[in-house]
Amino acid sequence: MSPIQLALLATFLPLGTAFSLIVLPGVRRAGKLPGYISVVTALVALVSALQLFAYGLEVHDIARVTTQWLPHSVLGASSAAPSTIEIGVLLDGLSVSMLVVVCLVAFCVQVFSLGYMADEPPADFGRYFTWQSLFLFAMNTLVIAPNLLQLFLGWELVGLVSYLLIGYYWKKPSAARAALKAFWITKLADMGLVAGLIVLFVNTGSFNWTGTVAVAGPVTLLLFIAVMGKSAQFPLHVWLPDAMEGPTPVSALLHAATMVAAGVFLVARAHPLFEQAPNTQNFMAYVGGFTALFASIVAVVQNDIKKVLAYSTCSQLGYMVCALGAGSQVAGFFHLTTHAFFKAMLFLAAGGLIHAVHSNDIHHMGGLFRKMKLTSGAFIIGALALAGVPGFSGFFSKDLILEEVWERGLYLPFAALLIAAFLTAFYMGRVVFIALFGKPSEHAEHAHESGFAMTFPLVVLAIPALCAGYFGAELSGMYGEATHFHLSPVGMTASALGLCGIGLSYFMFGAPQGGAALRTVFAPLGRLAASGIVDKSFLFGYRTVLRGFAGGIGWFDRYIIDGLMNAIGYVTLEVGARLRPLQTGKVQDYVYVMVVATIALGTFAAFLR
Amino acid sequence: MGLSAYLLVSAALFCLGVFGLLTRRNAVGILASVELMANAGNINLVAFARFNGNATGQIFALFSTALTVAEVVVGLALVILLYRSRGDVLVESASELKG
Repeated sequence: MSPIQLALLATFLPLGTAFSLIVLPGVRRAGKLPGYISVVTALVALVSALQLFAYGLEVHDIARVTTQWLPHSVLGASSAAPSTIEIGVLLDGLSVSMLVVVCLVAFCVQVFSLGYMADEPPADFGRYFTWQSLFLFAMNTLVIAPNLLQLFLGWELVGLVSYLLIGYYWKKPSAARAALKAFWITKLADMGLVAGLIVLFVNTGSFNWTGTVAVAGPVTLLLFIAVMGKSAQFPLHVWLPDAMEGPTPVSALLHAATMVAAGVFLVARAHPLFEQAPNTQNFMAYVGGFTALFASIVAVVQNDIKKVLAYSTCSQLGYMVCALGAGSQVAGFFHLTTHAFFKAMLFLAAGGLIHAVHSNDIHHMGGLFRKMKLTSGAFIIGALALAGVPGFSGFFSKDLILEEVWERGLYLPFAALLIAAFLTAFYMGRVVFIALFGKPSEHAEHAHESGFAMTFPLVVLAIPALCAGYFGAELSGMYGEATHFHLSPVGMTASALGLCGIGLSYFMFGAPQGGAALRTVFAPLGRLAASGIVDKSFLFGYRTVLRGFAGGIGWFDRYIIDGLMNAIGYVTLEVGARLRPLQTGKVQDYVYVMVVATIALGTFAAFLR
Repeated sequence: MGLSAYLLVSAALFCLGVFGLLTRRNAVGILASVELMANAGNINLVAFARFNGNATGQIFALFSTALTVAEVVVGLALVILLYRSRGDVLVESASELKG
């Protein structure tokens, strides 16, 4: 099959599956069947994506097939250039690599879900896999988009599926609230995307990201607002930790590996636009750097294993955004790729642990390594990759980011990233030492290794998590200029800091007589992070500023606008009531008035003459 | 006798009609008062015709008389209906439509 056909297959087969499951309730409720259908669909998509990958497209080999979608007249004439709005497929190194990442992680997650969700009632099980298939379609639509409008389409679709899957346990009020929160916050940010698209279209007459744009600054800034929402950058990151209310495999797929990376993908995709706006890039670098630091601080004090991973996702997305802000599409996207693999694996392994002890709390796990060697091993590999230990995939991509940020001269974000690297290693060490090696708790007594469906995906994902870094040159060649890895002082510093972080976490949480003194040193920081200050400031902003404003407007409407109307009505009624007695209904009274008036007017006219 | 004598008679007749119209409570009386006013107008028309020396005013008076007759026919029919439905012909008692 031709590349285009493969891409269409990988995109529309999941849509077909999702659609069939939606319209055929009999199949959807048929026990495990929808799960198998969905997994096979994902497998076909994965094979297509891998075959596309085998074509070895480089960034300049572009396969682009589009068809006219909206005629120009529908959108109204723009002053700039004649345009048509197209829909279609764009395949280059960037989109093909992303397709592979998405399909591989989606396949692993769906296989894992077969085991993880096995105890769900058939109807819910079917619903879950329907949304999983729909997600694959939505994400692939976004990835192969040849222009920003189609990308926006996929963008909103993944947002919808994210909402549906976070709210999977919709009977739980907290899950329903978290779904709404994620939806509203990302929608709020998406206003920026809409506005950016409008500004772009009005000025250039197209939704393409190529070409010189006079208004690149405002457009990219507006796009970046949407990126901040989707990729959970400070201060719009607050939805991501709450999104952990969804099932763990969902967190792995949507809220760690692929959907939240859509923002990073957007920036990498629209790189030509962002290159024309250095101010936006600097802003991105600072936002990314701050997010990386801030989220890693918060992650240090979380006890919920999924919350730790969620904040760590925030922090790693901060790395990517910072790299893109430094103008390095390659570094940002490379980290997206490696992060997708090891973070998905971390989440799935965490899912296995949670499944075994029926609790998210790391203190309830304790000593699971002896009981669940494979799952724990995968978790440790993921943690080492995340911590940037030399040899693991995260090391190469993180090192590349740090180098690029350093070379661009962004020293403040660089420092933030460096501290974040230390903290990342520290909090991952903490989780590993407490949950896997710590004192066994009674929750973990009956824990045992998960079944094949829940270990096989871990093994599959462990391969790229271990090795993806070594193919940095080849991978980066696919979506930008090839970058050859070399050991630099910057990278060595970061790795050394990472190792220090792991060592420190061992002394605090792993060693038999853990450093109580160290814990007291970190206590105030922990309290600050645990207080949820950002959420509170959002609430404060909502309660006082927004509601105060709304209250003021409401008061004005109620008492000034409505008051004016009521006053007019009141006066009319009163005047009417006073004048009413004049209307007696007796013809003779009217005639009397007429006669008197005629005489009066006649007299008046006579005097006037 | 000059024109003004006729006009004075006509004006007096008209004022009687207005007075009757305003004061009568009986619908028949009101109709009669209206007739007085109409005939006051007719006297004016005929008097002007006589003193102007042409027939225009007389023709108008004929039309006016025919009109008045039609008006009386309709008016008396209403009065009869009023009497049948209410048993009297007092105008102030027929006030059902008053809000």
